[in-house]
Amino acid sequence: MREKTYVEDVNRSIYDIKNEDKDSYKLEEGLTTKIVEQISSEKNDPEWMREFRLKSLEIYNKLQVPDWGPSIEGLNMDEIVTYVRPNTHMSAKWSEVPEEIKETFERLGIPKAERESLAGVGAQYDSELVYHNVREEVAAQGVIYTDLESALRGEYAEMIKEHFMKLVPPTDHKFAALHGAVWSGGSFVYVPPGVSVEIPLQSYFRLNAPGAGQFEHTLIIVDEGAYLHFIEGCSAPKYNVANLHAGCVELFVGKNAKLRYSTIENWSKNMYNLNTKRAKVEEGGTIEWVSGSFGSHVSYLYPMSVLNGKGARSEFTGITFAGKGQNLDTGTKVVHNAPETTSFVNTRSISKGGGISTFRSSVVVTKNAPKSKSAVSCQSLMLDSESRSDTIPAMDIRTQDADIGHEAKIGRISDEAVFYLMSRGIPEEDAKALIVSGFADNVSKELPLEYAVEMNNLIRLEMIGSIG
Amino acid sequence: MNQGLDIKINKLPSPTWNWLHMNETELKKIKLDKQGLMEEKVPAGIDKREERFSSFEDIKTGMGNGADILINSAGISPLSFSVKEGVKEAEPLKLDFSYEDGENAGNSVELYAGKDSEVTLIMDYKSSGEGLALVQTKIHAEENSLVRLIQVNRHSKDFICMNDIGVNLSDNAEIDIINLFLGGKETYAGCHTALNGKGSRLNTDIGYMTYENQKLDMNYVASHKGKKTKSVINASGVLKDNAFKLFRGTIDFLNGSSGSEGDEKEDVLLLSEGVVNQTIPLILCAEEDVQGNHGATIGRLDEDLMFYMESRGMSHQEIYELMANARIDAICNMIPDEDEKKRIQEYLGRGMEDE
Repeated sequence: MREKTYVEDVNRSIYDIKNEDKDSYKLEEGLTTKIVEQISSEKNDPEWMREFRLKSLEIYNKLQVPDWGPSIEGLNMDEIVTYVRPNTHMSAKWSEVPEEIKETFERLGIPKAERESLAGVGAQYDSELVYHNVREEVAAQGVIYTDLESALRGEYAEMIKEHFMKLVPPTDHKFAALHGAVWSGGSFVYVPPGVSVEIPLQSYFRLNAPGAGQFEHTLIIVDEGAYLHFIEGCSAPKYNVANLHAGCVELFVGKNAKLRYSTIENWSKNMYNLNTKRAKVEEGGTIEWVSGSFGSHVSYLYPMSVLNGKGARSEFTGITFAGKGQNLDTGTKVVHNAPETTSFVNTRSISKGGGISTFRSSVVVTKNAPKSKSAVSCQSLMLDSESRSDTIPAMDIRTQDADIGHEAKIGRISDEAVFYLMSRGIPEEDAKALIVSGFADNVSKELPLEYAVEMNNLIRLEMIGSIG
Repeated sequence: MNQGLDIKINKLPSPTWNWLHMNETELKKIKLDKQGLMEEKVPAGIDKREERFSSFEDIKTGMGNGADILINSAGISPLSFSVKEGVKEAEPLKLDFSYEDGENAGNSVELYAGKDSEVTLIMDYKSSGEGLALVQTKIHAEENSLVRLIQVNRHSKDFICMNDIGVNLSDNAEIDIINLFLGGKETYAGCHTALNGKGSRLNTDIGYMTYENQKLDMNYVASHKGKKTKSVINASGVLKDNAFKLFRGTIDFLNGSSGSEGDEKEDVLLLSEGVVNQTIPLILCAEEDVQGNHGATIGRLDEDLMFYMESRGMSHQEIYELMANARIDAICNMIPDEDEKKRIQEYLGRGMEDE
């Protein structure tokens, strides 16, 4: 009998370190009008936001859970705590962050990355930001990078009101409505016209409390001709109870502006990751999504690009690694709604140990989008027959003058490729390891260096005893 | 009085976002009043049976049980044919379905291909005026048998056509399916092939020319259960005016189907601004040792091709017409029956090129 090549699960040891859940203020479990009002009061919301939350709750109660994706039966909203405030306040100095929380972020490498390669960092712990800072020279360019709640009450209040949940309305789906009702934390970025932020900003979201939900909201506006690279990271230790992440990301990319949005999602395997991300791109603008999905028990994640101006462009590069106990339903959505718009989608997925990976996409080209082009390529690798890998791409084309291409491949490690490498003197075991690494590498090279290193830590592809 | 049934057909094996409206098709107040008229030409090597094959009830079809409900509600009895073991019939079994104005009729056809047999079944649909016709075809192909199924939709522009296929393949059995959709106001086509036997093979070629306000809604599923099975689904067509087309194509590798391969391709030429083209090609995979590919090309003709043709003095319109006709002709030329080819050319208003 052939001994199978063994590919190790994602190594999660540094992410699984738990801090004792103490000294924090928590609301009771469940989702009621009273809880939503408590959150609003806790946040000192302006009146319109309080009403928005309550309206969202109404919508949440009316909408059904999705009937087309992975099961979320294990998620009981009556057992989820929607707001957990750590016993600290937001600071611009790591020295003022409580030792235990600071240590967590140190282990995750956030302060080090900030010193070496980032223009600013926001760090959220449970429901609140505990650290937010931006380099002086970046702030001097007029770049705003702050927590969303401060922005809601400050100079940019009107801008927030104008954009908040306009791209992802609470009516979009049940968990967008949930987000609208209980959102807490998250970042606001504004890059003024013509400003290029040369080094990335990063927000990191850490959920420590068991049985809790995290509902951060990220709102980014990149004005005309500006450039920004924003990095988002997230992780949580594993508990025996379900945790929930229902964040929301809204990105507004102005005329001829460019935004690169990179995410490494590494939630624990008890997490239901029901996140919503959407970008609207104006004339000549570009959105680039780089997305790595490694964690979560169940994921529904499909960053969406609405190409709303002539010549707008989107690129989506994604990798998903589904191991034991994981059902990761990931992909992307693109709407071409203006002439000469372009989209490229390039994804890889790996399934092993009974993991389920689904690539799901939609490319919609409206009547308003003549001379648009789209190319979608997705490849899936099955590492055993306990696992599952599905590809569900949809195309809806409503103009004659479009050029739409799609290709997908699914399969195992190619015997021919292994044979070729072996004929060059590489042992079979190493040859297979090389092929699997190469499969993922195609996407990881799009990640910024520090994240590519993190990804290499994440996917520890250990090959043992492999007689093909 | 029978007001008709609300049924759901052409269900995607794994659903996606509901807002895309691709998961299934719902038909309201559909009814069948009678069995449709049919002329048959049965060659000597094929037996016509009085009784249906009881095991055929379990054959899954592409439209799903919505079509079964309609057939059963109208009490339509199947027409059953069989080919004995080892018989290789060179002459095709020909079934010509003809529907009159105002008819809501259905037909059910069953074909059993015995071990080591070969058979060709050609089904031609035509109609006049308005109405609805549902034809359900179920096929069981035994070990090492070869079945060719050719179905041509030449319905009138106001008729609703429903064409439903279910196939079970045993070890090393092979089926070649050619579906050509030319007519009908609305055409609903479902095809489910269960590649149950080791080494069984499916080749599907679909051609369509959907013009004016025509609607074409398809669901083709290749379900790989046996080891070393192989499926190919090729769809090629043209949309013009305000035509609507939805192509669902699924390659489903079930656990245990090791060594199997599936290929799926769609090539769509869009000729007018008012067309709507929806395509959803799925690969579902629960087996490691398989290879699945799908590709789709939608939209305009390749710029290099256009340049080449234009340099030969052809106008844009002439080039597009030529390429549209070429797609249909490519499918038409696969049909192993000159009479049927001639009918198709006549329907298209061309006449035979060599006449």
